[in-house]
Amino acid sequence: MSILDSFTRIRLIAGTTFLEAVRQKFFNSLLIISIALVGSSTFFQQFDFGTGELKFITDFGFGALFFFGSILSITATTQLFFYEMENRTALTMLAKPVYKLEFLAGKFLGAHLLMLSFTFVITLVLSAILYWRDTALVARLGDEVILDGPLVRYGDVFLFGFLQWMKFGILAAMTLFVASFSNTNLYTIIVSFFLLIICQLQYIARDAYSGMEAGWERFLVLGLGLIFPNFQLFNIGDQLVFDVDQALPLSTVLQLVGYGVIYTVAFLLLAQVNFRRREI
Amino acid sequence: MNNPAIRIQNLTKDFSVGIRGVKLRAVDNLCLEVGDNEIFGLLGPNGSGKSTTIKIILGLLEASTGTCEIYGKPSKQVDARRSVGFLPEAPYFYRYLTGRELVRYYARICMVPRAQIGDAVDSVIELVGMTEAADRRVATYSKGMLQRIGLAQSLVHDPQLVMLDEPTAGVDPLGSAAIADIVRELKRRGKTVLLSSHLLAQIEGLCDRVAILHRGKLVREGRVADLVEEKDAESLVVEGLSAEGRAAVQAAIEAQGARLARVEKPRLSLDAYFLKEVHQRESEHAANNDSEGSN
Ligand SMILES: Nc1ncnc2c1ncn2[C@@H]1O[C@H](COP(=O)(O)OP(=O)(O)O)[C@@H](O)[C@H]1O
Ligand SMILES: [Mg+2]
Repeated sequence: MSILDSFTRIRLIAGTTFLEAVRQKFFNSLLIISIALVGSSTFFQQFDFGTGELKFITDFGFGALFFFGSILSITATTQLFFYEMENRTALTMLAKPVYKLEFLAGKFLGAHLLMLSFTFVITLVLSAILYWRDTALVARLGDEVILDGPLVRYGDVFLFGFLQWMKFGILAAMTLFVASFSNTNLYTIIVSFFLLIICQLQYIARDAYSGMEAGWERFLVLGLGLIFPNFQLFNIGDQLVFDVDQALPLSTVLQLVGYGVIYTVAFLLLAQVNFRRREI
Repeated sequence: MNNPAIRIQNLTKDFSVGIRGVKLRAVDNLCLEVGDNEIFGLLGPNGSGKSTTIKIILGLLEASTGTCEIYGKPSKQVDARRSVGFLPEAPYFYRYLTGRELVRYYARICMVPRAQIGDAVDSVIELVGMTEAADRRVATYSKGMLQRIGLAQSLVHDPQLVMLDEPTAGVDPLGSAAIADIVRELKRRGKTVLLSSHLLAQIEGLCDRVAILHRGKLVREGRVADLVEEKDAESLVVEGLSAEGRAAVQAAIEAQGARLARVEKPRLSLDAYFLKEVHQRESEHAANNDSEGSN
């Protein structure tokens, strides 16, 4: 019963967090910019890239999703957390029979929900544009080449969006972790961006590790590789959408989801450790 | 319930300020007990540690040393807050919600059973006198209205202990009087109320007991009457007494072996005067509106 109550409270806190976020100009402007950018990729059609055009649009769209999604994930999470702390609505909330972990989980889920809507909209726009160019291309080339399948696997565009969303989840949880011990907005955002870059480039360390001799350096690199999730794992867009012969095996998708969930939960629990001691 | 509503023992709270671990003592070895169904006032100038004490009671801050219990449960336990309502100092709420939505939201957070939420929300909104404005957005509320809706959210789950941090700060005398009435009503319903204030006049007639804090230390604690009454003096208020009459009274008093210490005009407090005047005008205004309405 009390576990159910916990979920109810988390859901309620996530709800206000999400509503708060959707009302922010920042989210709306970022969404519009991203849509505009994805849309603008079609201007390149005049260069007539042929089937390469579709690849170009996809790369462009995925790039925009990654770039703006990361910005939004970090800034929105920071904003939403500090909004409650600075306006002392957190004070009212935590004076009720609400666990601090429930509060954090609610904040996280609200931000995560925000990222879900963002990712979904961008992915939808991207698919629509791809479909439009795809049909135009097929109409033009239809007689010349024999296609043994669709040019683009649309389901996989969404699968890629979903995996990116999992990654944004880790990022939001890391941001909450930073926010849990920092006193200012700006510090949180800057540190989180550093973490993002580390996670993005983490594979370099991994490569270096494989070439290293045993010793404390190797140990250090290994440790860093475990602490910071490897965000490159989630960037499998090309293989997903265009590799017609080889769809991504379900087991890989599940592994990635598991990887994301573990890191997300771990960072949330770390955030909780700090947040418990925080003076509100 | 044999446990007092609040029991604070040897409570000390240090904040570390500055980089070299400089400590600021906000609460200093405080011992207090608040009994059940009591209106207790925590008085003191700004910065004397009232809010800090309240936050520790609520488990929002951790005590440096000492203990604090609510009805026998340690403050640190989330469970201890199940039957506690809290109005923060200068409350601030989600601005895009209406007053009613806000109160309903907190009712759900506090796990008020679904079937009772509607009634619970309506009745607290009525109790705080916000029925008319309840469907407006919180963003449009005045200071006094925010305070009232804050009071409503703190009461919606029918808590046994209500803690109000500066409930009358920044509220006009009319609003303060209304809040005082609500506090008395809560006492009548058997609740315990702890409120803090630096506006002493407003608290005087309201609290059963008060504690006065200064720089985190308890200066005095006791019943208001015990603290401020001149124990060995009484005042008689008389009307229509002539000069000769007064001389005769004085003679009679001295004949009893007592002494007439001073003669002064009884004065209404400015607060009371203001309230009387405003109430009179309000009722005239209402009467005029009624007669216009019936025409
Ligand atoms: N989070 C904090 N960090 C450092 N000092 C604090 C903090 N909160 C309160 N203080 C200090 O503790 C003292 C008591 O503050 P407070 O309890 O808010 O007083 P009051 O409510 O009686 O006006 C003040 O000197 C204040 O500056
Ligand atoms: Mg205060």
